[in-house]
Amino acid sequence: MFNYSISKRKPTKRQVNEWFWGWFFIAPTIVGLIILNLIPIIQTMYLSFFRTGAFGRGNVFIGFDNYVRLFNDAQVWRATANTLLYTGLVIPISISISLVIAVLLNEKIFARTTYRTIYFIPMIAAPAAVTMVWKWLYNREFGLLNYLMDWLGLGRVDWINNPNVALISIVIIGIWSIIGYNVVLMLAGLQEIPKDYYEASVIDGAGPVSKFFHITIPLLSPTLFFITVTTIIQSMQVFDFIYMMIDVASPAYDNTVSLVYLFYNNSFKYGERGYGSAIVMLLLAIIMIITVLQMKAQKKWVNYR
Amino acid sequence: MNSTRKKLYKSIAIHTFLIIGAFIMVFPFIWMVLTAFKTVTESTSMNPFVFFPSEWRWENFATVLEQNNFIRLYYNTLAMMFWRVVCGVMFSAMAAFAFARLTFPGRDFFFGLVLFQMMVPVQIFIIPQYLMVDALGMRNTIFALVFPGLVSAFGTFLLRQFFMQLPKELEEAAILDGANIGQIFLHIMLPLVRSGLIALGIFTALFAFKDLMWPLIINSEPNSAVLASALARIQGAYSIHYPQLMAAAVLAIWPMLAVYLVFQRKFIEGISTSGGKL
Amino acid sequence: MKKRLTFLSVISVLVLLFLAACGNDSESTSENGGESDGGTDETQSGSGEEVELRFSIWDSNQESGLRQIANEFEEQNPGIKINIEVNGWGDYWTALEAGATGGSLPDVFWMHSNEIYRYASNEMLLDLNDRIQSSDVVEMDKFPEGLKSIYNFEGTQYAIPKDYDTIGLWYNKTMFDEANVSYPDDTWTWDDLYDAAKQLTKDDGSQYGILTPLHNQEGYYNFVYQNGGTIITDDKVSGYDDPKTIEALEFYVNFVLEGLSPQEFGDGERVTHLQNGLVAMGFFGSWNLTGFTENEYMAENFDVAVLPASNDGGRASIFNGLGNAIAHNTDHPDEAWKWVEYLSSEEGQTRQAELGVAISAYEGAADAWVNSNDTYDIGVFIDMVDYAQIRPYSNTTAVWEDRAYERLNGAFTNDKTVEEAAKDAAAVMNESLSQE
Repeated sequence: MFNYSISKRKPTKRQVNEWFWGWFFIAPTIVGLIILNLIPIIQTMYLSFFRTGAFGRGNVFIGFDNYVRLFNDAQVWRATANTLLYTGLVIPISISISLVIAVLLNEKIFARTTYRTIYFIPMIAAPAAVTMVWKWLYNREFGLLNYLMDWLGLGRVDWINNPNVALISIVIIGIWSIIGYNVVLMLAGLQEIPKDYYEASVIDGAGPVSKFFHITIPLLSPTLFFITVTTIIQSMQVFDFIYMMIDVASPAYDNTVSLVYLFYNNSFKYGERGYGSAIVMLLLAIIMIITVLQMKAQKKWVNYR
Repeated sequence: MNSTRKKLYKSIAIHTFLIIGAFIMVFPFIWMVLTAFKTVTESTSMNPFVFFPSEWRWENFATVLEQNNFIRLYYNTLAMMFWRVVCGVMFSAMAAFAFARLTFPGRDFFFGLVLFQMMVPVQIFIIPQYLMVDALGMRNTIFALVFPGLVSAFGTFLLRQFFMQLPKELEEAAILDGANIGQIFLHIMLPLVRSGLIALGIFTALFAFKDLMWPLIINSEPNSAVLASALARIQGAYSIHYPQLMAAAVLAIWPMLAVYLVFQRKFIEGISTSGGKL
Repeated sequence: MKKRLTFLSVISVLVLLFLAACGNDSESTSENGGESDGGTDETQSGSGEEVELRFSIWDSNQESGLRQIANEFEEQNPGIKINIEVNGWGDYWTALEAGATGGSLPDVFWMHSNEIYRYASNEMLLDLNDRIQSSDVVEMDKFPEGLKSIYNFEGTQYAIPKDYDTIGLWYNKTMFDEANVSYPDDTWTWDDLYDAAKQLTKDDGSQYGILTPLHNQEGYYNFVYQNGGTIITDDKVSGYDDPKTIEALEFYVNFVLEGLSPQEFGDGERVTHLQNGLVAMGFFGSWNLTGFTENEYMAENFDVAVLPASNDGGRASIFNGLGNAIAHNTDHPDEAWKWVEYLSSEEGQTRQAELGVAISAYEGAADAWVNSNDTYDIGVFIDMVDYAQIRPYSNTTAVWEDRAYERLNGAFTNDKTVEEAAKDAAAVMNESLSQE
């Protein structure tokens, strides 16, 4: 609000007052984040230079060996590719579907409360139960999807274990589970768009499509920006669904394993926390690059009033 | 005449689309509920394919209720959700306001810290946070459940977007009236981002409800467990009783649905008031 | 000015964080010793009247039986209360790891051959040698040698065998009757198994003769040892490239390639195939008994037999057993020992068997287990002990088991030959063994 540049001038009393209010307001969050999150992150970074013993004992400093190993580990690169592919599929598809649904549900249509509730439902489900149901639907031998495929006279598909299909199956669950989140946020954002903007455009003779692209999208852009940033971060960290659907034994493992899944296996199953930490650092670097690019790009398309 | 017909077609098209979508969204849940009433055999039978249970068996629910103290689980879960929402929303709103509307040294750096934290998978926090709670001697308490949710980077980022959208003239007028920054925040800004606060409240409650790994590990005693971790335990190690598991899942979900329905009304009320003011 | 301020704050925060991180580190390591005193007041609330023991297990099927045993124990030992905590297999080890790192392990918990090395070599478990020696009721010679040695690390006994398990051939009697095939028995060889699988498979894909999933303990390990092959040699070298091992794997995988078994890689789905009548035969361990008995369809149609012998008469069934261990830093070592002592005594072991919880490891107690269930002919699990083969393990079992799976799955999908897959598995397994 008080957009003076902090220049060589001595700050005025009002400015200093604003500084203190600012620090006061962010203090609980920043202190909390440092204790809860930043310290663990730094510890993880630190651990990535060690060959770790069990239970945090007997760590041996090995410099960049974990990173050297990482760069030569074909599985890590496959996991990186899988993670990026998953994100690249889930984000555009889920955002466009959600946008259409949100815009429709923002109109005064019949039964919109019911629709809102229904579209929100996937968000409530505990991942364990949801994945179990999806696993059923996908099951090659007794799943509903293959039952339908049989009925339609199409061949059966091994939704979970076919290396070429498994990632798509997971992407479908990913989209399914994220739509509610997107729609809720978009509805909240849509409410902030004043009605008179639309009324004015109708007088100007704008059709629904033109309204959508010239009013809705620009005015919703802060929300869209937020959704894009957070869902990309979330998708890059995909783990639960893959972990519960795809066993290490599955032939589709190599084509679906994500970076967090690899991290989890190394840190918690194989007792290699150092190597697991290095994998997290790689993931962190990738997410950071993507997010910084988005922050830079936001000036081009996000409208803050 | 023509235009009303056109309107009718349009509305049919919209509803067809929404109904198909809604069906896809809700189908896994219908399946969950139906399965909760089946026998184990029916639940996985392929030939013939069993869609509806041959009779509505409540015993799956009875067994699950008998074996688990659901009252306790509801209480623990609600307490965790409540405190995480209160702390998360309050602190996030304060920080978000400062990041969006105030200028002070270190602002961009600290906001960078907030974003940075979101980029790290939550799994790495579990063991360090466990050690902290353990050092405080607070395992198996409500505090332990709330602990990782005391502050929220996600919430700060979300509300910052809402605060950024508000027009500048609002504060300028208030300053002229002699209000200080705290008053501006409380009386002018907060009411305007109501829908954002409610959205954040819903998400925080949801994330808390779905949080599995943390409650499982930090509150290992059955009496201090929450619904999600109890559900994971019911899943057991090897042989799985699908109908009982689904009955437990249904029992776990309905209070969430109820909470959402209550909040949703508020959410919609928020539309008319805040939307009109701008 | 602005730049400098930002820079300064970055530096100061980083320094702060680093200090905090180091401080936190040393705190957590010193805690391992100090924590035990702190914990006492909290869990015991100072009174010392009643001691509560945390007893952690991973199999919910055994919970109710163990609860009953715990109740009986509590009656005999007023002042001790047992709190049973159940977690699924994966979560169990994550939670235990967190507890071990933080110095707050459960007082008593189950151990497994895959994990004993990590816990024993890092002194996370209480040395039981002296207590066993001075105990009147724990007689170690009554437990099978192979099981005892799993939990004996460099001469120290860190856990006492609780139970054991073997793998049986479960078959669908109704399907056998329909196809007019006689039930499997101890005269069966691999050829009989193959012929039966062939006759029991229906062409329309509605019924498979057998289930041969990519699974080690409840799958190909049994065949490898029946054939005289091995998974890991005494010198800790992979046995996957042993010709006998490859031959067994070829026989096993062939069921899938010929369409006599569905392709299955998931763990949970295997049981489902049995329970919804998709497969006529399957290999499952004795620990599934409770679940299989509760399932109406299985109780009605199924029975269990010993595993078939290889064509030259080689027999084997994979044998494993859990152990009860005590945390090294428990606040109540004496009470915890009392509980483990009871569980390991003839009385406790017999109770466990009678209640059908698991096959008790104690000599002679197994008969009580056989009598606990009249749905299936479960005596076969005991019959197989004579030639049972301890589940292969080393210090990093969990790592090389997964690595081997990753290489072997190509054989089941026919993307590579069994021989190629097995040799790949041997290579990655040796690589991981060399790092032990």
